[in-house]
Amino acid sequence: MTLSAIDLDHPPKRRLFGERQRFMLLLIAPAAAALAFFQILPIMTGANASFRDWSLHDPQMTWVGFKHYVYVLTDAGFVWTVMPNTIFFMVISVACSLVFGLALALLLNRNFPGRAVVQTILLLPLMVAPVVAAIMIRWMFNDQFGIVNVVLELVGLPGQPWLAQRWTAFSVILFADIWLWTPWFALLLLAGLQSLPREPFEAAAIDGASHWRVFRYLTVPMLRPVMVVCIVIRAIDAFRTFDIVWTISQGGPARSTELFSIYAYIEAFQAMNFARGSAAAMIGAAVIVVLAMIIFRVLNRWAEVSK
Amino acid sequence: MVSPIRATRRHLLSCLAAIGLAAVLPAAAQAQVELKVGYMKHPIQDASLDMMEKWAKANNVKFTRVPMAYNVFQEKVTATLTTQGDQFDLIWHNDDWGQLWEKWLEPTDDVKGMENVDKWPLDAFWSAEKKMTVVPMVHTVGTFFYRSDLLKPNEVPKTWAELVTVSQKLQKDGKVKWGYVGGMSMNNTWFAQWWTMWTNNCDIFYPLLERNNAKLKAGGFKSALADPCHKEVIEFWWDALHKHKISPEAMTSYGRNEANAIFMAGDAAFTLVDSTHWGEFNDPARSKIVGKVGMAPFPMGPRAKAHTSWNEIWGWGIPKGSPAEKKKLTKQMLAAMLADEEGQITQWKKTGGPPPNVKVWDKIAAQDPVFKQLKHAVFDQKPITHSAYYFAQWPAVHKAYSDASVKALSGKREDIGKVLEEGAPLVTRAATN
Repeated sequence: MTLSAIDLDHPPKRRLFGERQRFMLLLIAPAAAALAFFQILPIMTGANASFRDWSLHDPQMTWVGFKHYVYVLTDAGFVWTVMPNTIFFMVISVACSLVFGLALALLLNRNFPGRAVVQTILLLPLMVAPVVAAIMIRWMFNDQFGIVNVVLELVGLPGQPWLAQRWTAFSVILFADIWLWTPWFALLLLAGLQSLPREPFEAAAIDGASHWRVFRYLTVPMLRPVMVVCIVIRAIDAFRTFDIVWTISQGGPARSTELFSIYAYIEAFQAMNFARGSAAAMIGAAVIVVLAMIIFRVLNRWAEVSK
Repeated sequence: MVSPIRATRRHLLSCLAAIGLAAVLPAAAQAQVELKVGYMKHPIQDASLDMMEKWAKANNVKFTRVPMAYNVFQEKVTATLTTQGDQFDLIWHNDDWGQLWEKWLEPTDDVKGMENVDKWPLDAFWSAEKKMTVVPMVHTVGTFFYRSDLLKPNEVPKTWAELVTVSQKLQKDGKVKWGYVGGMSMNNTWFAQWWTMWTNNCDIFYPLLERNNAKLKAGGFKSALADPCHKEVIEFWWDALHKHKISPEAMTSYGRNEANAIFMAGDAAFTLVDSTHWGEFNDPARSKIVGKVGMAPFPMGPRAKAHTSWNEIWGWGIPKGSPAEKKKLTKQMLAAMLADEEGQITQWKKTGGPPPNVKVWDKIAAQDPVFKQLKHAVFDQKPITHSAYYFAQWPAVHKAYSDASVKALSGKREDIGKVLEEGAPLVTRAATN
């Protein structure tokens, strides 16, 4: 092209994205559309509903401002039972799953006959739908027909009304959740263990370090980045747990095992107050964002991930 | 021999005829109207639908059943109704949510046969315009079941006190592990706390036994939870669970499934549940007490002067979003169901579901001693009130009540009064917020 052919008054329009960028955008478009329709749009709808008079059976949709937020935040049950329960559940579930998962990962990191079989069996809980597992566990702990009481009575101990008291019911729920999630921790931590360099461990062996000292001063520090990621992801997930608790106790007896997701569900779909349920969900989301940031900052410092 | 021209003409004619038929047949198929029913998969509902399907077949109507799980039914159908969609032409309707749907349902006053149904259970289904919005399918009556192999009819407890003494005797004699079992957790409050509440002339709000929303509102929906009559109810159950031990301590966490499982295993002498479970109790594949179940009026509390009963219905509602011509057909179909005496008798025999047409009752009672027993246990007793309240906040009230009562039953006996006093404002708050 000669210089004279260029129209200086009307330069060719410069495209916003180059061919490469357009191709990349095309590739992510389906995922972005799915995210927009199935995540962002419902969240926006829920956020909108939380500021309106929006019952499921009679959706007036009139603007009511922060009325539902005030109701939820001044509900003694939400503040003094539901939120503490949720945080307690999250801490115990994540801590126990981490400890048991790490123990299993260390075990599976050794060579022993039948390791592949054990590994497969340990992964079974991950393959069971949480609702199915929860129904199974609810009947296992049934006071009349459950296997747990049968075993207790066989060894001369009295059977327990597991789901009729707060702490026994909470224990059953935690047991179910920890059972379901320990393999997940084990799997990720095992992958982490297998990716650690061998040299420090060989040096420790030459120096005659005990197993405990190797674990305390080598394995755990080197595994910290993987543990941090596991803890943060699982803590967020544990905070919004619904299925296990709903199936085992429905938050009972008398709200004593109610978590924030159960609270939101009851308000939205049992009391049919979609707006109040949405407000509770929004408050829960805000709490978990703050909590996740705190957890990540604390653990990040501990693990020195940023280095 | 046929000439080639004639053969070609014949071939052409047959082709044209085939094309004509092909054009007409889909049109004929399209002419068949489809009626879609949203319902809960349950033997009684299926029995009622069988009657309608019979009518549909006779009237060239395509009849489609859309079963849904109980746990999602109310939410799913409410969403469908409020969007005025035509997803269903007929839906299962229940007194528990009678008032929630009143503005979304077609009036049913003009359905033939409505003059033959019991009027008492219809109270939950009036619209603001004083129009009826349901056609009954079955009476869901709370029924006191007892083990007829262990007790003669005259030995069945008539009072709470007798319920305790008879239970303890049967337990002591090693006949049963437990006296009474029933659901107590949320949404099963009817099967323990509430039937004893009514049989003690008690209720959830003041004025007691009132169901007129205007009067309840005028009273500020003041909860009667801390009333002495209520304290007696909770104390009775506390003693049953912890002192007399006629009921399992874990009963506060039971739903109907757990309670029914114990009763059907032959481990308990008494239970109270909807009569619709009669069939289940007598199913040899599931129950060890087949043919050993009797029915009697509710045992009375210390404040009662006569037996009472709990008599409500399940029914069918017609969504306003259904097209007009389909609504007309649906009403004809419901009228046919109400008039189908043979079908209603079959419904009773197959499922234990008392039919909607009261004219059929005497005919069944004349030939079936079980129905006669049920009639005496329930229909011959006068209900003192309805088994639910009929305003939009009712589910929230139910939950608040359930939480307070279970908390009182799980704590110390001396704390019952205090827990009920703390729970009363929460029940009022649930009704007014």
